[in-house]
Amino acid sequence: MSMRSQGRRRGYLLFAALCIFTFVNLIPLLWAVLPSFKYPADAFTIPPTLIFEPTLEYHREVWFENDFFRYLINSLIVSAGTVLISVPCGTLAAYALSRIPRRNSGPILNVLFTIRMFPHMLLAIPFFVMGTFLNMIDSYPLLILALVAINQPFTIWLLHGFFLDIPRDLDEAAAIDGCNSWQAFRIVILPLARPGMTVAALFSLLMSYNEFLFALVLTGVETKTLPVAIASFGGEDISLWSISAAGAVGIMLPIVVIMLFLQRNLVSGLTAGAVKG
Amino acid sequence: MAPVTIQNATKSFGGLTVLHGIDVEIADGEFVVLVGPSGCGKSTLLRLIAGLEDMSGGKIRIGDRDVTDLHPKDRDIALVFQSYALYPHMTVAENMGFSLRMRDVPKAEQDRKVQMAAQILDLSQLLDRYPRQLSGGQRQRVAMGRAIVRDPQVFLFDEPLSNLDAKLRVQMRAEIRELHKKLGATIVYVTHDQIEAMTMADKIVVMRGGHVEQMGTPLDLYDRPANVFVAGFIGSPAMNLLTGSIDAAGTAFVSQKGARIDFPAPVGVGTGRDVVLGLRPEDIAIAESGLDAKVRIVEPTGAELHVILDFHGETLTAVLHGRPDIREGEAIKIALPHQTLHFFDTQSGDRLVATR
Repeated sequence: MSMRSQGRRRGYLLFAALCIFTFVNLIPLLWAVLPSFKYPADAFTIPPTLIFEPTLEYHREVWFENDFFRYLINSLIVSAGTVLISVPCGTLAAYALSRIPRRNSGPILNVLFTIRMFPHMLLAIPFFVMGTFLNMIDSYPLLILALVAINQPFTIWLLHGFFLDIPRDLDEAAAIDGCNSWQAFRIVILPLARPGMTVAALFSLLMSYNEFLFALVLTGVETKTLPVAIASFGGEDISLWSISAAGAVGIMLPIVVIMLFLQRNLVSGLTAGAVKG
Repeated sequence: MAPVTIQNATKSFGGLTVLHGIDVEIADGEFVVLVGPSGCGKSTLLRLIAGLEDMSGGKIRIGDRDVTDLHPKDRDIALVFQSYALYPHMTVAENMGFSLRMRDVPKAEQDRKVQMAAQILDLSQLLDRYPRQLSGGQRQRVAMGRAIVRDPQVFLFDEPLSNLDAKLRVQMRAEIRELHKKLGATIVYVTHDQIEAMTMADKIVVMRGGHVEQMGTPLDLYDRPANVFVAGFIGSPAMNLLTGSIDAAGTAFVSQKGARIDFPAPVGVGTGRDVVLGLRPEDIAIAESGLDAKVRIVEPTGAELHVILDFHGETLTAVLHGRPDIREGEAIKIALPHQTLHFFDTQSGDRLVATR
């Protein structure tokens, strides 16, 4: 009896701790959301006021007077392009790496890891120079290719783990059942890798959607993405804080919606990759 | 169904040679078991037959076709994996019908064959389930069903029972045996379990270190093991092996530790030479008068009694029937039947044949 009540008390404590943890994590979000509904006068008071007269004025201004939709579409084109190149290429590479002897795949994976660790800041300038040389600055393909390039090592690593968890026996069973290598991959292996591909797609999407540095350097008037655009909303004028905040909320919305839809896949995918079958 | 001929099969991984020129003839409809300790190359040999590994040398023929360089899908074989390797995203029916689907067999024909195999294996109720919803024994059956549906030239089994519990293993052993009878199929079956080998095989191939140690019927191997390794490997509990020598007269064996066994007549494997004497535990009997031994440990299994004896410094295992009343520490007398003693050369380990 006392055991049970003790267990229940532990449950309550854990719940309370998780509530606090979640709240702490949500503070930056609140910090962005609240000012977006405030007039500038309320927005920059310290400590922040929690009771104020709400307004949708700045959300309206962001969405309808600042080309927000255009930037959003740019962002979506770039993100979709990155995901559509990154995930298929990464899937093929990761599958191959998971099926060749480790002594061959190891060095390749290590090189990918090194590329992943390389500071992106140092890559931005060469990409800009290349882009200028090819006359591709301010074009979608340039930014997409740059993002695929910096994203690919992570995608391959992630998917490699998933493919390792799919037993080789299945490839062999498929071969004996009459599949050639491509059929075995497409009909047997690929459906099993779907959780992994979903996770890879989400990470690629987030990365490319949020990416700021390359977008700043490689885009221009035509292809400017949301993060770059929002950075230019604020500036030093304190009266524009509310607009910046509204922009931040606007950029979050599509991602929140996508995450809500894919939440289940994401969680099962993450654990499927981590725990050996 | 077809015979399988393996000629001088060699396999190396990098610098490591795991198969040293294996020759095996498998007759049409024969149930052949490849058996040996882990790392002996039995699974590798099976994978060569399946085409899952490239051969480093030699040839494999299935029926009248040389399949040495053929892709697995073109060899007309079926393989039951140790892990079963069922496709997790397909139902039982889809798993079983997959090979037919890949061969563009009409849907109606696929269904008919799947139904038939399901009936043979008692899977008809489970056709819509997914592998994760099945028990180990059921998965095992589906894996076999997948092979049966194919109606292949040769069935290959790679330790298919090792993931099942003891009771189910005995049951599946009988089922596979029955299946063999029903289908008349050529089967190559890999196991490390010599009891599985003894109970199922028409022919056993005992392997060690990438070599074939002996090939023959189960009773051949039991009665006339070709060398010390086979002698110790086949039979449970394992054969007692005593190192020693035959005396100058050829009528007694004296072990290194001084245990002496007198023969009524010369055994005909030479005189005054070093030998290994093999003695099956089930050939040892308690006698009124005989050799002195001391009971060290008694292990009742119910049907029989496993007794570990101290025989003048040597350890002997005996299997006794009829529940004799003996206790640990007791001194008893044992009789050894001289006609079932085995002799092996100490150096080569090869069987010595009596010349009488």
